[in-house]
Amino acid sequence: MADPDAGRDARTRRAAGRGSLAVMLLPALMAVVGLFGGGLFLGILQGLGHLPGAGLSRLSATHFSRVWSDPDFLTSFGLTLYIAAVSTLVAAVISVVAALALSRLVNRYRAVHFVFQVPLTVPHLVIAVAVLFMISPAGLLARVAAAAGLIQAPADFPLLVNDRWSIGIILTYVWKEIPFITLMLLAVLQNAGRELLDVGRTLKADAWQRFRHIVLPTIFPALGAASLIVFAYTFGAFEVPYLLGRTYPMTLPVWAYKHYSDIDLLARPEGIATGILIAGMVAAAVVTAQALTRAARKKGIVL
Amino acid sequence: MGALSLKNLTIHYGRQPVVADFDLDIRDGEMVSLLGPSGAGKTTILKVVAGLLAPTRGAILIDGQAVTDLPPEKRDAVMIFQKPLLFPFMNVQQNIAFGLKMRGDSGDRRARAVAHILALTRLDGLGRRKVHELSGGQQQRVALARALVLEPAILLMDEPLSNLDANLRQEMRELILGIQSELGITTLFVTHDQAEALMMSQRVALLLEGRLRQVGSPRELYHRPADPDVARFFGGDNFIQGRMRDGVFETDFGPFPVEAVSGNGHRRTATIRPEDIQLVTDTGDQPDHLPGTVKRTRFEGMATRAWVSCPSGELVVLTPRSGLSAGQAVQLRLPPEKIRIFPD
Ligand SMILES: Nc1ncnc2c1ncn2[C@@H]1O[C@H](COP(=O)(O)OP(=O)(O)O)[C@@H](O)[C@H]1O
Ligand SMILES: [Mg+2]
Repeated sequence: MADPDAGRDARTRRAAGRGSLAVMLLPALMAVVGLFGGGLFLGILQGLGHLPGAGLSRLSATHFSRVWSDPDFLTSFGLTLYIAAVSTLVAAVISVVAALALSRLVNRYRAVHFVFQVPLTVPHLVIAVAVLFMISPAGLLARVAAAAGLIQAPADFPLLVNDRWSIGIILTYVWKEIPFITLMLLAVLQNAGRELLDVGRTLKADAWQRFRHIVLPTIFPALGAASLIVFAYTFGAFEVPYLLGRTYPMTLPVWAYKHYSDIDLLARPEGIATGILIAGMVAAAVVTAQALTRAARKKGIVL
Repeated sequence: MGALSLKNLTIHYGRQPVVADFDLDIRDGEMVSLLGPSGAGKTTILKVVAGLLAPTRGAILIDGQAVTDLPPEKRDAVMIFQKPLLFPFMNVQQNIAFGLKMRGDSGDRRARAVAHILALTRLDGLGRRKVHELSGGQQQRVALARALVLEPAILLMDEPLSNLDANLRQEMRELILGIQSELGITTLFVTHDQAEALMMSQRVALLLEGRLRQVGSPRELYHRPADPDVARFFGGDNFIQGRMRDGVFETDFGPFPVEAVSGNGHRRTATIRPEDIQLVTDTGDQPDHLPGTVKRTRFEGMATRAWVSCPSGELVVLTPRSGLSAGQAVQLRLPPEKIRIFPD
């Protein structure tokens, strides 16, 4: 109070801090903006038909509109949406159950955390191969089932890879994303959840009411953010559906890849345009996830 | 309406004993302070009464009915925690109405009860605020309102004021005292602050290391501590060894006549509070005065604390006198009626 300079001093220091932070981040920022932004710019340019190598140079939105009106695109879009939505939903539901069950154990056994952190480091491709190895008609489960007499021959095993319902793809994603969502939820439950549950109990909420009115609202922002990130990832990922999907219809990333690498250079802008549409979806999901997180922080739910 | 009776509670965390043989009876409408240093087991006892923890042994009775095996949601007791622990995804009135909603009260009834309790806890006009927009004191009042609105038989408060700053704390004490006497709600009030315990209730229960050491009026605990540990907790620093002989307690600090003649010939320990020792600076020899030298002093606002070295040992004195300095010669008088001789 007595020192009139105190306020200005603090403000100057904070501004200086922000400035030096920007300087420190600059190299990384330049790499990100340069590589990603440059790529995006070139991509948009090519998507708009600027492809001098193929004799195209006039810019137009026709490739985008052609992509939109292509029935194959819409089928692919539907398939991608279906896979991403079902994987996310199944993983989210299982994660909620797992997090609730584990939140009691984690305090006693630190190993629980570790067990869940390991799958995070395994690449999707490895999981996809493992899934292939396990559940394909020539896979382990089929042979075991045949050996046990459950089915006549391994070939009778239900088709779960390269199948109509994309079961193999979904299984891969579910297996891979459950630990991610579960760990996010566990963090929240560890922080605020347990004390609030005690409060709920003494305020006469029964087990279901505590789940409905305390647990769900507490984990909702984290669950929403984690699910959106998973959704964005599965929507835009290429390798798993490429390996475990059918040749038709294919998911959007595979579709984009096929077009982009087509020997017909004229297909290339459509591949790019598709890629940009995917990027748009992913960006929207990530921005929404960020907004959810920020809103939750503001309310004091720790994330 | 409810009398609370805790019988022989023994509580473990795992194999670690935390509370042993704890007994306490609280009359209907009474507020009792459970006082003890940090780590004594106060929160543990409250959680057991609330039902959040199970005791290893013992019983909890509300109005004579054993509730020991009932889960918290079936007990007519509500606990207020050290932190407000408001639901961050609800506004103030939703927080307060939570228990009513869980109980199935209609929206109308909830609104009326919430309005009433908002006024009682001086939160009028804040019903629609988000909880993170409230000050610490307001948040703790919402926690209080959220518990009171259920009109529980038993209210359990776990150091509800310890996170507030000093001025606010005094204001909140008055508020809690006012509401408690207005509603006549049976209350167990936990605190680690001896002054707070003494001013909040007619009875104080002192817990040291998981054991109940003394229950009584604030004056009893303060002036007639049951044993040296209790005396020490209330700031008694002076302990005097001696022997009982023919109605006199004989010590190195002189003989003190005592009323009740008991334990003739036995060694006993006695205490005298620092503020009960009279300190004089004029050096004329008086028969019942002990000569001494001031070792060091500390100014404490209303009084000065002085460590005085006497031939038979050191005594701590709290005196309103100012201007004492180290090395100064003084005389001390220990009024016999202020000497508290501990039973064996
Ligand atoms: N969940 C727990 N597990 C193991 N020990 C605990 C737990 N909670 C508290 N304790 C121990 O029990 C003793 C009493 O704790 P507590 O009841 O919180 O004390 P207070 O509330 O009087 O400060 C302390 O020694 C504390 O370390
Ligand atoms: Mg405590």
